[in-house]
Amino acid sequence: MLSPLLRFNPVGQIPLLTLLALCLVTALLTDRFLSPLNLSNILVQSSIMAVIAIGMTFVIIGGGFDLSVGSTVALAGCVAAMAMVKFGIAVGVAAGIATGLVIGLANGVIIANLGVNPFITTLGTMVLVRGVVYLITGGAPVGDDTLPAGFIAFGSARFLGIHYLVWVPAVILLVLSWMMRATPYGRRIYATGGNREAAYLSGVPVERIIASTYAWSGALAGIAGVMLAARLQSGQPTAGEFYELTAIAAVILGGASLQGGEGTLYKSIIGVFIMIVLGNSLNLLNVDSYWQRVAIGAVIIAAATVDRLRSRS
Amino acid sequence: MTAPTLSARGVFKHFGATRALDNLDFDVRAGETHALVGENGAGKSTLVRILGGVHRPDRGGLAIDGEPRRFNGPRDAIAAGIVTIPQELHLVSMLSIAENLTLQDVPLRHLLGLPLIDRARMHQAAREQLAQLDFAPDLDLRVDRLSFAERQLVAIAKALRGRCRVLILDEPTAALETREIERLFAVLARMKSQGTAIIYVSHRLDEVVSLGDRCTALRDGRSVATSRRGAFKVADLVEAITGRTLVQADARASVPGAVVLEEIAERPDAIRLRANEVVGLAGLLGSGASAVLRRLFGLASETIELRRNGVAKRIASPSDAVRIGIGFVPGERRLGLVMNLSVRDNILLPSLDLLASGGTIDRAKVDRLVKQMMELLNIRPRHPDRRVSALSGGNQQKVILAKWLMREVGVLLLDEPTQGIDIAAKQQIHTLLLDFARRGGGVLIRSSEIAELMLICDSILALHQGRVMDRLTRSGAFDDKRLQRAIGG
Repeated sequence: MLSPLLRFNPVGQIPLLTLLALCLVTALLTDRFLSPLNLSNILVQSSIMAVIAIGMTFVIIGGGFDLSVGSTVALAGCVAAMAMVKFGIAVGVAAGIATGLVIGLANGVIIANLGVNPFITTLGTMVLVRGVVYLITGGAPVGDDTLPAGFIAFGSARFLGIHYLVWVPAVILLVLSWMMRATPYGRRIYATGGNREAAYLSGVPVERIIASTYAWSGALAGIAGVMLAARLQSGQPTAGEFYELTAIAAVILGGASLQGGEGTLYKSIIGVFIMIVLGNSLNLLNVDSYWQRVAIGAVIIAAATVDRLRSRS
Repeated sequence: MTAPTLSARGVFKHFGATRALDNLDFDVRAGETHALVGENGAGKSTLVRILGGVHRPDRGGLAIDGEPRRFNGPRDAIAAGIVTIPQELHLVSMLSIAENLTLQDVPLRHLLGLPLIDRARMHQAAREQLAQLDFAPDLDLRVDRLSFAERQLVAIAKALRGRCRVLILDEPTAALETREIERLFAVLARMKSQGTAIIYVSHRLDEVVSLGDRCTALRDGRSVATSRRGAFKVADLVEAITGRTLVQADARASVPGAVVLEEIAERPDAIRLRANEVVGLAGLLGSGASAVLRRLFGLASETIELRRNGVAKRIASPSDAVRIGIGFVPGERRLGLVMNLSVRDNILLPSLDLLASGGTIDRAKVDRLVKQMMELLNIRPRHPDRRVSALSGGNQQKVILAKWLMREVGVLLLDEPTQGIDIAAKQQIHTLLLDFARRGGGVLIRSSEIAELMLICDSILALHQGRVMDRLTRSGAFDDKRLQRAIGG
């Protein structure tokens, strides 16, 4: 028996190789890429998207996907900021995460128990939640200059030389990767996404499993919303637009399959890095921001095409 | 002698490390039925796919009327008049019979230059096609309303619309009843007399003996025997296919123990099952035999009540059934397995809650258990990390059994557990089921093969229209005639 490290599988390493190639090309084109400031920037930018992508990976392994996370980030950030101004940091953070959890649970129950299509359901909640954000904030940022100093420090301070914002996804990744591998719950998510009927006929409570993946996605989007509020030092009602698409693209780039049943949390993080480094390098190379959208759209389509080709072979 | 209509010469085909075909020669002539038999994984499906243009051979090639030909895809094969009727029929379920039959070239009429579907001609064409098969359904009926046998006839009719010189049928009777099989055979006989070459792949050796002009047995990707009509009997074929002679399972002689499963509600098909007992459910499609199994596993719409080892329980879903030690082997393998997961993960799936200590799975312990299970059931190849989709049908079926043996269930419900798998695997599964019963388990098994039920069951319930018409017990031997009568109503 070879150890997993020795059993090198080149196909499984495509995301990592893509990321390394992208970094190499950018580093050759501009020496600003490898500057400590830029690298630290990339890490901080990736951190929030990484938390969202971990949640998205749960949903995609379970055979669905979630378009509502971008709006959830905005609502969670605003709710957290509002609650924080009145009741303090702890209540604010809890309120933000709980907001995300509630949205995720609602998605999960509608999709898993009522059997509504995930695309329509989460498209609906995406629009609905964004509407709620504007309703409760009146469209204006929340908590500008009034957020507790400790919370604002969390958005910029470092621990062991690394931003707190980067520690958050690192810890979440470690704990949840272990959960996916070592607990019955984790294995059941893969089985349910791989073949819902077969899992059901093996006694797996598939509805609860699927609903739970959306709950994870919502709760993690809630955490991301709180992190973003700390970084922006306010709750921004316009925050998080297109985050859902970047997250889905990152997860697919990381090798998860839109058919469900396949995917790895840490590879989704590599997918996040690919997306962020791509944006960063286009910035450094002074590519027009309109062209950046074109490039990112093309990457999403390319990733989905690769997913399709892979599942066919 | 003229050249064969279709021939393959010296064909090699590899899939990764697996050698599917090894220097194989095969041909079929006009007006001839050439049967193809072999165990699962012997290379039958690979050969069929190469002949149908789905796969390209690594070495060797195909010839039509002696002329070498290369197919770059199924379209090329169809254009050459080689039509495959696969096990899963390619029909558009939402369209009508007439629409499906004319899908390749829809009859059109033009109104102000706009192409419109000419319904009259579409119906006319469809009716003619089906008339060749003595089949006259309502042409506007949607295909998903038809039975499997009827859909198969539509698929054959569709194949006949183009030029059909070679008709390839892959396990065509696996889901058919006796009467439907007879109709299919009549259709094939007529096509043969009109000069169509037929390649017939089947596990049912009696069919092969009665239908085949020639028969080729494959083993490990090689042709081990080709013989002409009259020169082969079922026993010979079994020997050629398996490389050994058929051994019958032990005759059953067990004493049933306490009742392990008993339905509480009064109903015409209520079930009572004892320990050490194998009960068979015999019945035609639609007789309600499958419904009994599905009901006991919590798949019916209503909650059922039953006594498990004397204790009253309610079952509303499969997880309720699994929790009280009931396992279900569904009729279709894709319902029993998560194909993109490993053999290990599939075997562990129903038992995850039992194997988790303190919330986590002890990897070393479960690896040991999975290894034991794979050895006990002789699941090959012995790689727990291999995706279950890479296994042959017989080994996949054993993985489904392993799931429930791992869970140590007391009752096994099985729906056609040996359908479409080879004889060697079939015997192993029979032995496992008898062994399971001998250790105090209760087995309820449905099979469309009455000989199989008579071989392994202690008693057989004959179902017709949702009622138990008769209950036969093994006292010396089952009365075949009486059983047939009961099934027919």
